[in-house]
Amino acid sequence: MRRILQISLAVLFLTQASFAATTITWWQFWTDPGIKPVIKAMVDEFEKANPDIKVELTDLTWSNGHEKIVIAYSSGTAPDVIELGSDWIAQFAANGHLADLSESVATDSGEYHGWSLATYKDRLYARPWFLGTRVLFANRDLLKRAGYENDFMPYKLSDLKVAARKVHLLGKDIYGWGSNAPEKHRLYKKFLPFMWSEGGQIFSDDGRMCVLPSVHTVSALTIYKELHDSSGYVANQRGIEDAFLDGKVGFIISGDWLLKRIELEKRKINLATALIPGPKFPGKSFLGGEFLAVSESCEHKDEAMRFVAFITSPENQVRFCQANRSATPSSKTAQQDPYFSSTEPLKIFNKQILSVKHPPVDPDWVVIEDIIEKAVEDALFGSGLIAEPLRQAQMKIEHLKNK
Amino acid sequence: MRSSKATAFVLALPWIVTFGIFWLFPLLYSFAIGFTDYQLLARDYHWVGLANYVNLFSDPAFLAAIKNTFIFVGGTIPFTTVIALAMALLLNRSFKGRGLFRATYFLPSITSMVVIALIFTNLYSRGGYVACLAQLIGFTPPEYGFLYDRGTALYSIMAMDVWMSVGYYMLIFLAGLKAIPDELYEAAEISGAGRFRQFFSITLPLLRPVMLFILVINSIKSFQVFVEIFVMTKGKFDTATMVYFIYDSGLTTHFSFGYASAAAYVLFVIIGLFSILQFFLLRRRQPLW
Repeated sequence: MRRILQISLAVLFLTQASFAATTITWWQFWTDPGIKPVIKAMVDEFEKANPDIKVELTDLTWSNGHEKIVIAYSSGTAPDVIELGSDWIAQFAANGHLADLSESVATDSGEYHGWSLATYKDRLYARPWFLGTRVLFANRDLLKRAGYENDFMPYKLSDLKVAARKVHLLGKDIYGWGSNAPEKHRLYKKFLPFMWSEGGQIFSDDGRMCVLPSVHTVSALTIYKELHDSSGYVANQRGIEDAFLDGKVGFIISGDWLLKRIELEKRKINLATALIPGPKFPGKSFLGGEFLAVSESCEHKDEAMRFVAFITSPENQVRFCQANRSATPSSKTAQQDPYFSSTEPLKIFNKQILSVKHPPVDPDWVVIEDIIEKAVEDALFGSGLIAEPLRQAQMKIEHLKNK
Repeated sequence: MRSSKATAFVLALPWIVTFGIFWLFPLLYSFAIGFTDYQLLARDYHWVGLANYVNLFSDPAFLAAIKNTFIFVGGTIPFTTVIALAMALLLNRSFKGRGLFRATYFLPSITSMVVIALIFTNLYSRGGYVACLAQLIGFTPPEYGFLYDRGTALYSIMAMDVWMSVGYYMLIFLAGLKAIPDELYEAAEISGAGRFRQFFSITLPLLRPVMLFILVINSIKSFQVFVEIFVMTKGKFDTATMVYFIYDSGLTTHFSFGYASAAAYVLFVIIGLFSILQFFLLRRRQPLW
């Protein structure tokens, strides 16, 4: 009798074990009511198609998500799959927290844009989900009042400067240019397109030297400051977008989230979008994106990779982008979906994505961007020579890299 | 006797355990990691001796943070103390509606600092109430708003801090004033002392313990100013103070816990020295005034 009981228990245990699903944890940032159901539905579908895998979803917020992720990796409580902004990948990869995905993505690498953002020391550490860039937004009504034809958009930075000034002179409480106040992770993204479009770089081609105070960067910062001084509405990103949507600002540089705001808030604005101006039109815009990475500590890497491949599949990218009004999926197949050419602004975003640059994939980038932002702040709000803050930034960056 | 000591120890044990785990251990641990290159994301760390302390004093950002902190402390404490004392003296008299005034002045102290900071961010903005007020009295306000100007950002936050704090210290002064026996004033009046003389010979000397308490706690609070800076400027426009620097070094941009811990201990020493100085000055027997 005892033997039968023992055998029954063993069989029961083995049966349980064989049917027990593997649980993988996923931390992601999309919590708003429009997009969260889509995320949830994708997870449900994945679980249905893979009954051996359960996915535990945890939401992060943009305000402190980075800190939470850092603390999780530092304390050994990181999730299996994690959404990372492109600027953070090198920081986590360099410290050995992300799994090397180079082998597992080789088969479909041609399908996706944006691999370079996740490549650190020739190894791949994350899969591109969707990309993000910035374009020029203009208020067509203000341009008309300033005497411009209906189809006018600036091709050169000098044209932008003149047009912004003309709009600025329209009257009280009207401004030509939405100029970002110093704000972490924001200001440098507005300045770098100017710098890249003028031919400036942060590091030399071999990556060994910081070449920030070059003639090109000084020229870019001079134009940026002239726009700021002559026509600037100075506020944080949200503030300048509010002012733009209220019809007070002629031009701003922004991303696809502004299209979402205009649609969801039913804003009445005579909107025009255009590619970033530059000496060689179109100018270079900023490229970033959201990526899915697998933690090195993950015990079920195959299952995690299956999940990542599912979420970033072309069909799911289209679903996500439509729900989130994101303009630029990383999948080339997804980009062919009629949705991405259904409106003029979406077309502009998909043209701009062909003329973009991204910051160096550097574990110290978060510190470097802080240094660059301080230099731009000093140039815009200080009174000294434009080149001086850039020279100081160069010294700080070189000091950092020589540590 | 032994049993009562044991009972006292057992009763105090929850506090001792909590203090040990959440205060004493972090305090000693952060002191230790101040001598290492500990970074949150790195897998190992090394002993660096005094390098963090040496680097701090050649770091322009830290030196600027020290300067800003001292400006904040030096610019807020005298105003807060004097205004709070003046208000306490006014409200120590009996008049109709005194309770309402007391409650109103105390209101900012029980309001969330984040809420106050957000309201003042609005007031200080371009075209905001403060800018309009400045124009009315003939001043040209900063072009992009008070918080977007290096010449005014820190001082604007300081003004808000004074406004926010005076009600609380006024209440403590009021309690101190109530503790002064009326007989002293009656005797002084009989001796022919005027109000001015009574204030300097009776009120101020007898308020000295209260004054010491206010100066010490206000100094500690002001040296640790953070929330206002975090909400209103994020340390931009030359407003980064020492605690903001520690936060930025340890928990945001750099994640350098070793470096941030060293900075925290510099602040600890500064606050300690400042408090000792205040005790020394205000505990002297001979009158200061």
